[in-house]
Amino acid sequence: MKSLRGRAPSKILRLTILGAWALFCLLPILWFLSIGLRPRTEIILPQPLYWPTWTVEAWNMIWSDWPMGYYLRNSIVAVLGSVVIDLALAIPAAYALARYRFRLREDIGFYILSTRMMAPAVVAIPIFFLLRNLGLLDTVWALMLVYAAMNLSLVTWIIRSYMLDIPSEIEDAARTDGATDLKILVMIIVPMCLPGIITAAVIAVIFGINEFLFTLLIASTKSAYTLSVALANFTGGSDGVIYNAISMVAFLAFMPVLVLLIAIQNHLSRGLTMGAVKG
Amino acid sequence: MSIATTNNGRAASAARPRIYRRRSPLRRKLFPYLLVLPAVAYLLGITLYPGIYAMVQSLYRVKFNSWTFIGLDNYEKLFADPEFWASLWNTLVIGASALALEFVIAMTLAAFAYRDPWVRGWRIIFLLPMLFMPSAVSFIWKLAFNDGGVVSDLLMGIGVIGSPLDFLGNVWLARLSLVITDVWQWTPFLFIIFVAALQSQDMEIEEAARLDGARWSQIFWNISLPLIAPIVAVALVLRGIDIVTMFTSVFIITGGTPGGATETVSYFIYRTGFKRFDFGYASAASVVVLVATVILAQTFVKRFFKSGRD
Repeated sequence: MKSLRGRAPSKILRLTILGAWALFCLLPILWFLSIGLRPRTEIILPQPLYWPTWTVEAWNMIWSDWPMGYYLRNSIVAVLGSVVIDLALAIPAAYALARYRFRLREDIGFYILSTRMMAPAVVAIPIFFLLRNLGLLDTVWALMLVYAAMNLSLVTWIIRSYMLDIPSEIEDAARTDGATDLKILVMIIVPMCLPGIITAAVIAVIFGINEFLFTLLIASTKSAYTLSVALANFTGGSDGVIYNAISMVAFLAFMPVLVLLIAIQNHLSRGLTMGAVKG
Repeated sequence: MSIATTNNGRAASAARPRIYRRRSPLRRKLFPYLLVLPAVAYLLGITLYPGIYAMVQSLYRVKFNSWTFIGLDNYEKLFADPEFWASLWNTLVIGASALALEFVIAMTLAAFAYRDPWVRGWRIIFLLPMLFMPSAVSFIWKLAFNDGGVVSDLLMGIGVIGSPLDFLGNVWLARLSLVITDVWQWTPFLFIIFVAALQSQDMEIEEAARLDGARWSQIFWNISLPLIAPIVAVALVLRGIDIVTMFTSVFIITGGTPGGATETVSYFIYRTGFKRFDFGYASAASVVVLVATVILAQTFVKRFFKSGRD
């Protein structure tokens, strides 16, 4: 690194640019936190207020004025359920794509991938009718099924990428010992690509928590509202948008996501590109 | 699975000749198909079924529960509908600006950060906006641009403008507010991928070029960038897909105003279907977008992803 001096861009330039962007990332977050920690009367003013009267009024309000427990439960149940469905479907599929040669392999793999490209709005109407006919509108089950479908491509491709890294000699050895293919998958492959499975699961959790359009269409009461969509309903008639409550809910969802992401940060780029980048 | 059964299995396999445990050739051949079948069936249920449903529905006029067959009328009306074309144009303008900005910023930041000793710290900080729910981020910027007037106030504070800007009233300012919202939240997506790509390249090549007397900027442009080009392409494709399906921020921040100037295709379909309850017409628009998506996916995306290792 020392030898780079003189040729590398100057340290001041580098720190200025990176620092400027860091401020641009952080300042809106801190300001939004301050919105959550101020009374509602200090939010929308002719002259914005940057140092408010600090209060946890909004935090208390979200628990007392709204069925936040339901929203939280719906988010957790729908997201975790969808991840379980995804893993159950994706692990065998990923194994087939990574390990077997069969006709249509490329086409099937690409088909799975291509479902990631579908705009939610495009399939929203038929899926809305499908769920209505099944009597699943406004249920957590509907959210679970939709989130699972939305993330299945991603989960399959991420896990597939990690399976490709496992040397096939290990499986060959197990096979000569008489293990069946299914046993190899469960006892050898799954434990060995656990980091990939966890990465895929975390990314699926995050996208599930974030999901907005389908939830907006499916949910109409507290029995299916998630945090993401409940936010948009924090408008109390004449009160307008209740920003301090929105802020508190946003940070409530932010904290677990932050923890999950830090846990997988070294796998993040690989996960986000569905395995195209290793690093 | 208990240890006992595993031991039994092992004992049995040792006792019998190995060949005995092999599957029949047909079962071996079918096995990979059986593995992918559940996932494919699930995805077909949630893509093929809706696709066919939308195609059928697009041929009808749907009023509540009564469907009247009208042939291709919906499509005729759609292609003559200035609102539909406007939504395509808006999606293109907003999406292309956001993607271009995100690319330039993320690449610049990555170029400066990837050999910085604090790269992990920068990465966590830059990542933070991505960790908020998009609906929450939309509200952050709705408040900053419109309701709270913070952006105007700050710009007035440094003397750039004299009076508050009306971010909802002006076509370009409204579009700009959506672009900035997207850039703020999603630049880290590209940044993380670019940094990882730059870090995983072969450092010896850079080193060799440096010893030959190449400048830092030359090395970046002529060596590092071409090396990571395939990954950059994948990242841009993935981000591009998400940008053209932009919905949440439009729904929360602008609602398509002013005069439909920020209405994206997704919002057009949503509004037609779930606000005007014109489901047949909305389905026709869905089918058109779906066909376009399939064509784009086949021509642009397919080459970047391979299922197995060949």
